[in-house]
Amino acid sequence: MSSPPNVVKDCESRILHWKKVSGDYEALTERLQTLPDQLSYDITVPFGPLAFMPGKLVHTNEVTALLGDNWFAKCSTKQAQKIVDHRMKYVKSEISDLSKTMKNFEARVGLVRDLESISSSKGDYVDIREDTENTSDIAVTKGKQRIAHKPNSKPKLDAVLDLKEEDEEKEGSRKCTTTEEELWARLDELEKLEELQDDHDRLSYNANMNGEDTSSLSSEEEKEGDAAPAVNELAHSEARASSGRKAEEAAAEEDDDEEEEGSCLPTIFFSHTIEPKKVRINTGKNTMLKFSERKEQKEHSKRKKKNGHSNGHSHHELHKITTPVDIYRLFVDVKNGEPVPRKSILKSRSRENSVCSDTSESSAADFEEGRRAVGRSFSHDETTQSDTSDGVTEEESPTAALLHRASRFEAFSGTVVEKEPMPSAVPYLTISPPALPTILERKQEEVAPDVAPPQQAPKRLSKFKAARLQQN
Amino acid sequence: MAEALQKKLKAEVDKFTLMQKDVSKSMSARQKLETQLAENNIVKEELDLLDTTNTVYKLIGPVLVKQDLEEAKATVTKRLEYINGEIQRYESLLKDLEKKSDQHRELLSSLQQEYQKAQGLAVGKV
Repeated sequence: MSSPPNVVKDCESRILHWKKVSGDYEALTERLQTLPDQLSYDITVPFGPLAFMPGKLVHTNEVTALLGDNWFAKCSTKQAQKIVDHRMKYVKSEISDLSKTMKNFEARVGLVRDLESISSSKGDYVDIREDTENTSDIAVTKGKQRIAHKPNSKPKLDAVLDLKEEDEEKEGSRKCTTTEEELWARLDELEKLEELQDDHDRLSYNANMNGEDTSSLSSEEEKEGDAAPAVNELAHSEARASSGRKAEEAAAEEDDDEEEEGSCLPTIFFSHTIEPKKVRINTGKNTMLKFSERKEQKEHSKRKKKNGHSNGHSHHELHKITTPVDIYRLFVDVKNGEPVPRKSILKSRSRENSVCSDTSESSAADFEEGRRAVGRSFSHDETTQSDTSDGVTEEESPTAALLHRASRFEAFSGTVVEKEPMPSAVPYLTISPPALPTILERKQEEVAPDVAPPQQAPKRLSKFKAARLQQN
Repeated sequence: MAEALQKKLKAEVDKFTLMQKDVSKSMSARQKLETQLAENNIVKEELDLLDTTNTVYKLIGPVLVKQDLEEAKATVTKRLEYINGEIQRYESLLKDLEKKSDQHRELLSSLQQEYQKAQGLAVGKV
């Protein structure tokens, strides 16, 4: 049997045929009735397909009827009428049978059509789908923004993230109060991660400055409300720092955000979202980071510059410590003008970037003490750096400055230590070790006031812990 | 091994297609007979309606040959019976053909499986 639709169509065609036949028979019946009224009729007889001839129709009552199968019967009109009636019966029975079968198959076809309508959502059936975008955004904005970075996916996400990050930053600020606790929980996680990372980074990235991480971390802690955005910013800042700020505007935006963060305390801001890549200071790698991150970093750094804080977060991206690795980045010794990664942060001089200090603290307890000082100094350093960097950026083209910074940070082999508020960015790289102690002193002084806030526990405790303790 | 199986498979497939053709032919013939059957039934009934006063003609080629009513009736009856017999014959034929085609189908499927296995083995070997 063919499919229901075909059967239905076939039945329809047959029914049409039979209806036509019945119509013909009805006309024939009428003719048979009128025919014997006259003995003969004058008619125009067709001669072939093109000609006609006048003629007469006689024996009007004599009809030769085709019975079927090459059988003919001569009969009167009445008898012919009987035959016609008999045939009509047959035709009607055929039509009824066909209509029955059609109905049976129409049900099937209707079901198929309903299914089609359901699938195509044309009918009243609606496909219920849950929009997970909002939830995902909320999940992301709440707490720290965690982005699973894939080497391949990052570049593509950049453009998209820029807008998202900005939005998230704003959202984060709004959700600050409600997500504090979540942030604390997240901070704990991040701390652990950082610790692990630090161990790993220590081995591999001595030169890496963790200032960025610390700065990022600190930024988060400082501003609970801004924690979410801070994290984002830090993440962004890190990414940017590494990749190099390319847009002043973005940096300006970040600066504004960062300024808010930096105002609190030199806290370590965590942004684990972009850890792997952020940590990599190499501009080449960092370019993979999202633009938003870069923007945040830029802003962060710019803010730091503006604030002149040693908060660290505000530091430009380079100084933003979003991951433990960033700490190592800051702890880069500059020897002979070349950054040399320091093997031990404990021995690192005070980094301008307070950021690093934060991350380093959080990363390992061992480094706490050593880092505390370093952190503070770093925070100062960062601020100073940021100041200098600001000057640099302002003086130089933003891209150049960013790139410069990025390069600096990559190498960051200790240039972070500034003997004095670096008048120029170059000094970063050229900071010589001996300058560190002086800077440390200065930074400590500078940091002192900053550390005043309880949240800025002088300890290298992770800002998160400190903040949490305070909160609790 | 795989090639031999392939050839076998092709041969079987051809046989199967032939069988399917036979089946379809018999099916169409049977349908014709059925229409004829219906027609002859109508003729028979209409002949019954007539009486001897009417002359019955039979169309043989271009000629209408006068036929006796009774003869016509008998002829039609005979034709009906003949048609019924033909239909039954074709039905039995169709049944046999269908059985054969089913058997053939199974054989084909088994051969296909074997062929695939052989191919898989060949691939593994290679």
